[in-house]
Amino acid sequence: MSSLRIEHAAALARRKLGDATGPRFWRALEELADDPGFKRELIDALPQFSAFAAMDRRRFLQLLGASLAFAGLAACSGPPPEQIVPWETPPPGVTPDTPQFYATTLAYAGDVIGVLVTSHMGRPTKIEGNPLHPASLGATGPMPQAAVLEVWDPDRSQAPLYRGHAATWQAFAADVAMWPASFARDGSGLHVVSDRVVSPTLRAQREQWMLRYPRMHWYEHAPVAQDHAEQGAMLAFGKPVATRYHFEKADVILSLEADFLGDMPGRVAYAHAFAERRNPSAPAGMNRLYVLEATPSITGTMADHRWVMASSSIALFALELARALGIGADAPVAPGSLSAKQHQALQSDLLAHRGRCLVVAGGSQPPQVHAIAHLLNDKLGNVGHTVDYVDVPEDVTKREPLGALRNAIMAGQVQRLVVLDSNLVYNAPADLQLSRLIKQVPHVVHWGLYVDETAQLAEWHLPASHVLESWSDAQTDDGVASIVQPLIDPLYQGRSAHEFLALLMGEPVQDGLAIVQAQWRLQNPAMAWPDSVRTGVIAGSGGKLAQIDVRTDDLHGWSPQALQHGALELVFRPDPTVWDGRYANNGWLQELPKPPTQLTWSNAALISPQLAKERALANGDVVVLACEGRQVEAPVWITPGQAAHSVTVHLGYGRKRAGRVGNALGFDAYALRTSNQPWTVQGLALHKTGRSVTLASTQTHFAMETEGSKPPVRSLKLADFERDPDAAEEGDKTPPSIYPEQPQGEYAWAMAIDLNVCIGCKGCTIACQAENNIPVVGADQVLREREMHWIRVDRYYSGSAENPVTHNQPVPCMHCEHAPCELVCPVGATVHDDEGLNLQVYNRCIGTRWCSNNCPYKVRRFNFLQFSDLTTETWKAQRNPEVSVRSRGVMEKCTYCIQRIENAHIAADREQRRIADGDIVTACQAACPTQAITFGDLRDPHSAVNRIKASPRNYDVLEELNTRPRTSYLAQVRNPHPDLEDEA
Amino acid sequence: MSASLQDEHLLTREHTYTSLSDKVGELALRPNGRLWFIAFVGSLLLTLLFVAGGGELLAKGVGIWGINIPVAWAFALINYVWWIAIGMAGTFISGALYLARQKWRSSLNRYAEAMTVFAVSVSGLFPIFHLGRPFFFYWVAPYPNRMALWPQWRSSLVWDFLAIVAYLLVSIMFWYVGMLPDLGSLRDRARTRGKQVFYGLLALGWRGEARHWKRFETLNLLLAGLAVPLVFSVHSMVALDFSEGAVPGWHSTMFPPFFVAGAFFSGFAMALVLGIPLRRWLGLSDIITLKHLDNLAKMMLAAGLFVAYNYAVEFFMAYYSGDPYEIAEVRDRLIGPYAWVFWTVVFCNVLTPLWLWSPRIRRKPAALFAIAMLVLIGMWFERFMLIVNSLFRPYLPSSWGMFYPTLWDLLFLFGSIGIFLLMFTLFVRWLPIVATYEMRKLVHELKEPG
Repeated sequence: MSSLRIEHAAALARRKLGDATGPRFWRALEELADDPGFKRELIDALPQFSAFAAMDRRRFLQLLGASLAFAGLAACSGPPPEQIVPWETPPPGVTPDTPQFYATTLAYAGDVIGVLVTSHMGRPTKIEGNPLHPASLGATGPMPQAAVLEVWDPDRSQAPLYRGHAATWQAFAADVAMWPASFARDGSGLHVVSDRVVSPTLRAQREQWMLRYPRMHWYEHAPVAQDHAEQGAMLAFGKPVATRYHFEKADVILSLEADFLGDMPGRVAYAHAFAERRNPSAPAGMNRLYVLEATPSITGTMADHRWVMASSSIALFALELARALGIGADAPVAPGSLSAKQHQALQSDLLAHRGRCLVVAGGSQPPQVHAIAHLLNDKLGNVGHTVDYVDVPEDVTKREPLGALRNAIMAGQVQRLVVLDSNLVYNAPADLQLSRLIKQVPHVVHWGLYVDETAQLAEWHLPASHVLESWSDAQTDDGVASIVQPLIDPLYQGRSAHEFLALLMGEPVQDGLAIVQAQWRLQNPAMAWPDSVRTGVIAGSGGKLAQIDVRTDDLHGWSPQALQHGALELVFRPDPTVWDGRYANNGWLQELPKPPTQLTWSNAALISPQLAKERALANGDVVVLACEGRQVEAPVWITPGQAAHSVTVHLGYGRKRAGRVGNALGFDAYALRTSNQPWTVQGLALHKTGRSVTLASTQTHFAMETEGSKPPVRSLKLADFERDPDAAEEGDKTPPSIYPEQPQGEYAWAMAIDLNVCIGCKGCTIACQAENNIPVVGADQVLREREMHWIRVDRYYSGSAENPVTHNQPVPCMHCEHAPCELVCPVGATVHDDEGLNLQVYNRCIGTRWCSNNCPYKVRRFNFLQFSDLTTETWKAQRNPEVSVRSRGVMEKCTYCIQRIENAHIAADREQRRIADGDIVTACQAACPTQAITFGDLRDPHSAVNRIKASPRNYDVLEELNTRPRTSYLAQVRNPHPDLEDEA
Repeated sequence: MSASLQDEHLLTREHTYTSLSDKVGELALRPNGRLWFIAFVGSLLLTLLFVAGGGELLAKGVGIWGINIPVAWAFALINYVWWIAIGMAGTFISGALYLARQKWRSSLNRYAEAMTVFAVSVSGLFPIFHLGRPFFFYWVAPYPNRMALWPQWRSSLVWDFLAIVAYLLVSIMFWYVGMLPDLGSLRDRARTRGKQVFYGLLALGWRGEARHWKRFETLNLLLAGLAVPLVFSVHSMVALDFSEGAVPGWHSTMFPPFFVAGAFFSGFAMALVLGIPLRRWLGLSDIITLKHLDNLAKMMLAAGLFVAYNYAVEFFMAYYSGDPYEIAEVRDRLIGPYAWVFWTVVFCNVLTPLWLWSPRIRRKPAALFAIAMLVLIGMWFERFMLIVNSLFRPYLPSSWGMFYPTLWDLLFLFGSIGIFLLMFTLFVRWLPIVATYEMRKLVHELKEPG
């Protein structure tokens, strides 16, 4: 039986069965067996059935049940038939248990990154950064990691739907064939909405299509985009250019609400460059970061000086600074939330580092602030040194705003609306009312990964193939292009954007690979296809340096309005984990504690401690947020470091049709967002409702010290460190022990974590989750403090609640040499090996939990219930086959990625050599954008980990307990301005 | 004069050999009473709750309870320590007082020993149920297996397992052996065939020959000698379960004597809580006299004072050590989120027992019953304080977290009380609840002093 036919039968049956489940499902199935009409339809679809002319019920049910069960599996047929090129040349005689790596490219959360995907016998299981790709440099961060969960998500759309009923691609193709007749030849009435297009091939296809139908309209709609940055560049230079920052060259950095480590495109590489200059012993010296922001961001927590300011007031500060540095912009006198001393220190610092400083504006700031940042960089002589500009790959000035679509719909001009992987019913600005207006469009076609809010209202829904299932290409903002290659044939009936567009355009070639190849043959005839695919980067791509001339004309007469005293402003931010809502159904990202708050599974309205006191609000109190006649109800979360009268809401929650994981979590902040004020709205009203909800935060206590003990994160100022390099480990002494040393093997594995460069992005947590098959437990279990992450990132605050200093601390297992857990296990389920690993033997564990009680670091995780999903087929395929899936009742914890250590052992044994330094890279280490984590062998005197542990900043947490941890930390060093030392 | 003198006696003068045997024998052989039936059904229902909870637990896992990381132990371990401590008094009364030739033990020892056996049995369920994978509990035992795997001897849980098993076995033997002469006498008094067979089998052919008595006395003495050290070892062992850990609030060498004292305290409290209703409802006030209650109350007072002393020393030691984590732990006891537990404990275990200084209170069964109940409640909360308050704020503040019980937690607590009461009601119904042969010895001694 061909799989297509089975699926058709399955689709028929599904349609008849509706959404019956459990016992009702089987009853419905039996009723179906007696339905002659259905039998006839089924025989049409599956002629084989007619062979059993007098098919008895039992036989019929067997066949039907089997075809339903296998419908999903049948498509799961391993790698695609075309030749895909492995990243490393496979040695002759590939063994099936050896994973292979394929380079591909992910467009995620407003960014593009080159990755290597681990494939176990044709199943993508893990994503690592591609060291050759300039946006990755080998690292990833949290969101790219989670793509591997997305491809195996059982809630993904599996088949075309016509008005909500199962349909076929053939039927859709037949429908498409009728379209041109209704376009009046020139395409009027045809409107397309897509996400921001980053694929050169898709751009070419679009161009071709629009050439054919000049009166069609194409809108690019991304709720979180760099529109303001683009417009700012237009203001400053009069032409669209992309900005490339070189943080590794900057001694002084000023961020005007720019979260360049957290949500700016290129963030992974930026974090890498930034971290290069955070080592106090580096030859170029340590940089100094000033951040002005309203809501604590990842970048803000890394600042040497973080100045809290309402988002709307930052523009005034920027103008003031521009005036002070002699840029001819009209500068009203800013209401001073900063002291003269602070202004003075910042200005002198910038002026003292001409050509070696950098001013960066954030996407949430108005275009004029971006322009001012460009002018300041120009004035300070930074252009060509710490910042340069490249031509953008496409003309951004031609973009049509989504408002035009609204007008067209209201004018009745939209006959057909094609929505490409965009969920505009959910995330379009509220003032456009598209969720209502879209119902007036006669024909809506939706192509996407999920049957989401928009698909619900569409006439046709067509399943998209996942990026790991498709051929495509992608280009970063600064023009670096790379190929997207599939790791697996589409699991379901999805088609890629190129294939879908080719179908819409009636192209003869509708095969994704052929389309992409043809495009590149045209665009870059010299390109070596196999090389580009293997390395994951197209050599020679990347924008050319742009010639720029600054101009200040457009800034004259601009007078931003500061936040009135006592008034509230509303600040929108993309969610740190689910972004604009696209990852709402991703359990890993939902359960990842969000950087500023450690909240999981929900968003909240972040308010300052001052506002909480003023309005008598406690965490979880539900308030009504109202502005411009729109309102939502949201629970509040008191956030230290939040600007006093700014309320921050994160986008991406309140989804209704995200899937089983993401439905009905949090509140929908889009309901307050308008197209004119996408990031900041003044004049927010906040009322208490008197109700309260419990939000699931993984950390409830943020102060660091038990009185009289040493804090877990040691932090000192650069000046103190230079005066006394040993200050961080002062008074540390490993106590003597009556226990014998552990047996000493050939290697001694150890880890060092540099707290000075940990930005708290939690890429390590997700990477570990993916590598080690760590289950997702759900909000109710997080509330019971049963999250399973093997490496957590603790967040402590010191200083005042209004503007605290933040300390991040990733905590994996310490692999203590004198491990308290080993002593107390009655069955020897946790034992030490001669390489210093503290091992957990799942088979032997009976679950007394004594080891966890006795672990001073609380890094052990217990399967209180059956947390791993053992039944869903796709999850089985998603898991790393080298790591056991744990059942309920057993303890688990970080193993230092023992499977990777063993792989290195095997490789070294085969070649009869020692394991070399760098042969083993743990999952957390690989994902870390700032390379904060180092792993290696203490026996090797030249190993990186030995070199790092020799630093005077190296210390052990809770050393006084004599656990002798193998994981140690490098103390945090802050570099405040000498005149402002008391701030840090 | 005569009335108060009467109270001082361990047995009323009127009792003869026959009257004693008749009275105790009749308790076991007469038809069911209504009161008994109510007690039986009530405890049976609670037991069924426990069984249902056990089913849910085996099906889903210990996650149905409120435990978490950092508080990975809570109700199950609290209940375990509470029950095993309650068992203490029985062995002490029948073993240590026997060796010390205290006559007043004779009327109490049988039901107190039964209390021990039942309490230890109930307590033994918890360490098994609390496991993540309870079906593998036997891996803690050293038994020959193909993998040649042994338990990890340094773990206190292995010692604990062995201690409980030894204690349970010896308690059962001691109790059963001590019952043989009375079972023989019940067999002889039984009027129906079924009962004759039942008691006949249990009596193991006891005929009351001099040879039997000689061996019986020797065995009893040996078992008493074995049981008494076990009482101390098992409670010290329970204490070491905690002391072994590097957990502030647990890591203390004073835990073993502290736990033994706590066990005395709650054991005598339970002996009172069971003895007073028995005395009233089964009309045993002539056998369990006010003198007995007075003695039990004095023992409880002594144990209570020692326990209070321990509380004080814990605070002293924390501050004396200067260890910031130990200090933080005791400060949390006083003013932390679980401070209410500590103050409950102080009220129940330190303040309430002070009433026992008054001889009048010691001879008021109702007041004694109330005080003993409060002590039992206080001792349960003491274990809550010891376990939860030490765990909920571990070394790294990032891992701090509260423990909140679920309904299943409560169900297991009350269900376990149900099992205990069920076993006790069955004991009261079918077995001789007073050691008749010993009481007859007492009659003999009282009649012919010297």
